[in-house]
Amino acid sequence: MRPILLAGHERALTQIRFNRDGDLIFSTSKDQQICAWFSHNGERLGTYHGHQGAIWTVDVDPTDTMIASGSADNTIRLWDIKSGKCLHTWEFPTAVKRVEFNEDGTKLLGVTEKRMGHLGTIVVLDINLDPEAEQSDEKAMTIVCDESKATVAGWSYLTKYIIAGHEDGSVSQYDAKTGDLIYNIQIHDLGSPITDIQWSQDRTYFITASKDKSAKLITARDLEVLKTYVADTPLNSAAITPKKEFVILGGGQAAMDVTTTSARQGRFEARFYHKIFEEEIGRVRGHFGPLNTVAADPTGRGYASGGEDGYVRVHFFDKGYFDFMYEVERERANRMA
Amino acid sequence: EDAERIAGADQEVVDRRRRLLNEWYAWRESVDEELDEEREAMGLPENPVEDLIKAKTAAVSQGEEEKVIE
Repeated sequence: MRPILLAGHERALTQIRFNRDGDLIFSTSKDQQICAWFSHNGERLGTYHGHQGAIWTVDVDPTDTMIASGSADNTIRLWDIKSGKCLHTWEFPTAVKRVEFNEDGTKLLGVTEKRMGHLGTIVVLDINLDPEAEQSDEKAMTIVCDESKATVAGWSYLTKYIIAGHEDGSVSQYDAKTGDLIYNIQIHDLGSPITDIQWSQDRTYFITASKDKSAKLITARDLEVLKTYVADTPLNSAAITPKKEFVILGGGQAAMDVTTTSARQGRFEARFYHKIFEEEIGRVRGHFGPLNTVAADPTGRGYASGGEDGYVRVHFFDKGYFDFMYEVERERANRMA
Repeated sequence: EDAERIAGADQEVVDRRRRLLNEWYAWRESVDEELDEEREAMGLPENPVEDLIKAKTAAVSQGEEEKVIE
């Protein structure tokens, strides 16, 4: 599994997203740049300029027309992928930590930071996927998080729920139409922030990553915990792989928190677990700092990780990966054949 | 070798994995059914994104045609 190294960012990576076809990768960084890359060869397609602060988050709409980004400059920006033009800017009182399109790309949510005098919110914007069209400045909805601020959020299947992960380790389910809170459940250790939420392909379940050193697989319908993956380090990101029943976890202790020795260099690892059996099956080494973000290629061909070290590493799975099966899985596959 | 070591295990573990696997696929089946029903009830297309992409491709090729005419 020889990776492609994408060197273009000058500071820590914050988020990576693949487009639907898996041929493009979008990455954001504290260096105020958004980069677009061809996943097969690591060539840079372009950069998107305009943000005036660290960029925390990016997402791409399902038709590959636009990307949205959120930044410490208190804006969400919408960009035309092809031309690199900024199509619209929405301003907020605080930083934007997460953005996500719903499954048909007609809505975008943004998670805004809590700061003195401002509660954390989840805002919903209506999006017109025609790059020539005027975008509405109005927020379609604002959910105020008065208990614990949201750190991450996303849209469930059929745009039915908004699911949020919070700073206190709880997960909320909101009605996506009304914004009403339906459930709030303490999923992770109290006080351990949820650092990532990523969806299964049909958005009926998702994986959380937390600073409590675990990741959990949860149903969108009733926030039932299906699986727990226990790691030995605080987690920043978690992804579900399509095609194979695996999950990928990324994290690591920041350099200042551990005694750094040369032996530790390049030893920050992406961890693979079997999604159904909850067992760790392998690790991929390489980054020189904690993994801040991991993303699975939606076509199942590989994955990418973004590190505190400023690098994006794109891995293509080899034959052994696809062939690997537990005895009981092989049994089942033979039965189904 | 690693794969074999991990994949091979004693009977108890194998039975547990078999149970987990069956539970998982049974759950997936029920979710898939519910999702189809709900989508139909809401009058949503089976694959909304494919429709969007088709619409986009159609719009793009229409644009090209217009250019040719000019």
